[in-house]
Amino acid sequence: MSQLSLLEQDIAKLIVETLKLKVEPATIQPEAVLFGDGLGLDSIDALELSLAISQTYGYQLKSSDPEITVIFSSLRALANAIEKNRTK
Amino acid sequence: MHDTPLIGPYNPDDVLAWEQDGPRTARQFLSDVTRLAELLPNRPTVLNLATSRYEFLVGFAAAILRRQLTLLPQSRAPQTLCRIAGDYPDSYGLTDREETIEGIESVSIQPRGGLAPWPDEIPRVPLNQVVAIAFTSGSTGQPMPNKKTWGALTAVAHATGSRLGIKGGERAVVVATVPHQHMFGLEASVMLPIMHGLVMHAGRPLFPADIRSALVDVTGQRILVTTPLHLHACVTEGVRVPPVALILSATAPLSRALAQEAERHFQAEVHEIFGFAEAGSVAERRTIDGDSWRPLDGVRVVQDQTSWMVHAEYLPAPVPVPDRITVDARGMFVVHGRGADQINIAGHRVSLGDLNQKLLGIDGVHDGVFFLPEEGTDLVTRLMAFVVAPGKTSEEIQRALRTHIDPVFLPRPLVCVPSLPRNATGKLPRESVSELARQWLAGQRHGA
Repeated sequence: MSQLSLLEQDIAKLIVETLKLKVEPATIQPEAVLFGDGLGLDSIDALELSLAISQTYGYQLKSSDPEITVIFSSLRALANAIEKNRTK
Repeated sequence: MHDTPLIGPYNPDDVLAWEQDGPRTARQFLSDVTRLAELLPNRPTVLNLATSRYEFLVGFAAAILRRQLTLLPQSRAPQTLCRIAGDYPDSYGLTDREETIEGIESVSIQPRGGLAPWPDEIPRVPLNQVVAIAFTSGSTGQPMPNKKTWGALTAVAHATGSRLGIKGGERAVVVATVPHQHMFGLEASVMLPIMHGLVMHAGRPLFPADIRSALVDVTGQRILVTTPLHLHACVTEGVRVPPVALILSATAPLSRALAQEAERHFQAEVHEIFGFAEAGSVAERRTIDGDSWRPLDGVRVVQDQTSWMVHAEYLPAPVPVPDRITVDARGMFVVHGRGADQINIAGHRVSLGDLNQKLLGIDGVHDGVFFLPEEGTDLVTRLMAFVVAPGKTSEEIQRALRTHIDPVFLPRPLVCVPSLPRNATGKLPRESVSELARQWLAGQRHGA
């Protein structure tokens, strides 16, 4: 039933586990916003998530990256960025 | 001495701040401040929401010269801003982006412009002028205002600088990860540099890679003003950083193990500040040296009938310490934990009573309580909440809460229950809530 790719499913699980969200990873909409109104994540979540992403995929996020708001805008965008930049 | 200069020892062409697009000299700063001061509306109070630390400072200084008070809300939650604007109805907003606050007139900080001549004398500010109001959470759900005089802010900056051995003229650069609207951020990343003729980095790096870039961007001695959260992230990720002269951490207790790792990683001494919005910075310690806090010069912690009080010449009245502490014969103290009703999440302090009031104020909520689980191994321990709200979903209540409270306090998770284990007198003992949380977590694990 999920339209999530395998990587998106893994990242959804990482997000839910890292941030202890009370949602089923598979129900996260790939295009829905993660921060602000979507899952309601804040900057501490962003920091925690960045650590988990760096440890899991070897990709160090940077908020001065001109595309950071795009990268964090949705699960799909995050998965695309990880796909492009992962080192493990 | 009834007034003191707006900034410390700078020559006109000394760099005062690093903005994204380059340096701002002291001369540029005074020009920007004078120009903005002329443009400000004639109002008593201002909400300065600037995201750049430099532009925040320009707005803060311009407001001071116009004898206006800068309001420092605990969060940028729309409801918080609206409530404060309601309490101070003649307020206006200062922003450096296209941001607007509903119902509040906003003025843009546009400090671009030519250089004015260096004045014969730096503008002076009366020590007893109230320049800022920091809001803290009371138990009633109403934010409590704490007035900050120019004398208090400058005294803390000088006492902190002398304790840390910061000398004017060394021109160290302060890079800070803490928000400048937060009391510690205002003291350590704005007032400390400008009183000592230092350079401030205008950014607010978040991720380890950002902190690294900010440190790489600047030259000279580097001072990093930060929190245990950011230190943990930097150490865990192992980012390579240029040499740092000093690290100053506050907002949450730093463990000695993390302090040791951070000292090794950054090759710098890690010092901590103990303080709270009502009194400002109170004491300092080098974390690896021990648990005792040494009050800043001019500060004493004295017991009265019921609690420990902070005394300082610049405080209009002694201020009670919100934590449980013991004080030794030398006046040094050890912190044992928070006061009964107080919690601190990532440097944001709030009373549980306040949060419960806000929860109960939500339409459709019949009963409810916030609960802080025992701290675990996570970076940050989040609150839980148990709510009785027939016909409502936890998502609906979360959405309503989000407009009332700072996001760091949003419960993870919010659990809807048929009733709360209140006792015969209607009270809800912590042990009962704790048991409820234990059962719920056990059920989750079982179900997973």
